[in-house]
Amino acid sequence: MPHTSSSTQLRARTFRSMGTVVSLTVASGGYAQTAVDELESAAAVVEDKFTELDLAFSLYRNGSEASRLARGELTLAYASESMRALYAEAAEWRLATDGAFTAERADGTLDLSGIVKARAVREAAMSLEALGLRDWCLNAGGDVLVSGSPGPGTEEPWLAGIVDPQDRRALLGAYPMATLPALATSGTAERGQHIWSVGGAAPEFNQVSVAATDIVTADVLATAIVAGGTRTLDQAVEKWKVEVLAARPDGTLLATPGFRKPA
Amino acid sequence: MATALASAGILLAGWQSGAHIADTGTTTTTSLSSSATSGGSGNTGSTGSTGSSKTTSTAATYDGTAVQTRFGTVQVRVTIQGGKITEVTALHLTDAERKSAQISSRAAPVLRSEVLQAQSADVQTVGGATVTSDAYLTSLQAALDAAHF
Repeated sequence: MPHTSSSTQLRARTFRSMGTVVSLTVASGGYAQTAVDELESAAAVVEDKFTELDLAFSLYRNGSEASRLARGELTLAYASESMRALYAEAAEWRLATDGAFTAERADGTLDLSGIVKARAVREAAMSLEALGLRDWCLNAGGDVLVSGSPGPGTEEPWLAGIVDPQDRRALLGAYPMATLPALATSGTAERGQHIWSVGGAAPEFNQVSVAATDIVTADVLATAIVAGGTRTLDQAVEKWKVEVLAARPDGTLLATPGFRKPA
Repeated sequence: MATALASAGILLAGWQSGAHIADTGTTTTTSLSSSATSGGSGNTGSTGSTGSSKTTSTAATYDGTAVQTRFGTVQVRVTIQGGKITEVTALHLTDAERKSAQISSRAAPVLRSEVLQAQSADVQTVGGATVTSDAYLTSLQAALDAAHF
């Protein structure tokens, strides 16, 4: 089949990692078989990257270095260099967000899984670029990073729907991923209240989506804003180039201009 | 001179923590770099000492670190004379235009109808708080992934 612009197709592959599902969607207008081969090898590369980071850092695996740290069998001083680097990154984010983001759970357990997932997405993206792929969308448990367009050769941005925290089969809104290619969402709905707010009060927001230039930034800030509320939201918007959509348990919303309908 | 510098350092530290407290309403944390221009007179070219008859009262200026915010660079300079801060000047502040950009980019309360809407058929992917493996099976993302077979 010869390539025409109207024959653009999206193809997706999914796999499980880090307690969630990762999906890679690739847009291609080339020969169908070539596109499928390309997608299969790209998905394999992405899965390898997730597996590699999951083995070392995931609390979902009992034997991981992270789990041994959490159980106190290993102290940070004796941890691997990459583990310490990750911890240092988390500590920097804690400072940058005035403590709203923290890698420690309420019980003191070190939990770097948020940053680990985002980092896996970031490293997978570098692998996809190295493979020469231009138009793709990577979704790791609701955190999204895109490149190019769903219509190769066009300016059309990938359009991400945002799940409605009150009705998870519906969309709250949509976000065109044009200038900010990374979108992360944190909330209290999916895994119970796994984010503790600053001071121990009930979180002001039950779901926060942050679009940023980088997936780690988006992920960290989404988590920080759920924990820190409006104050952290205002700080984040002032300090980083981000767009934010935040939902309160009563259904009311706060949005920066990028999430609003064009007037 | 060394003691004068040391006490200036303590003063600076005090001033710095004071600045942090005064600053908690914004994210622009103006911190002074401790290594900044630690010399005596004339180190920045704008030391404008008024009491030049006594060497101990020579004014020393210290430039704060330039702090990048999305809306511009913020930097301050303090002048210390006779062990006291005599002047704090802004080398760079975000200008009014940037200030208005800052305000307009803030998050504001919106109605659902004011958020950019889309049907699930229109989107290529779905962002949502961490989807577990089990929840994925009944999610919109699973439907989209299946459609992109």
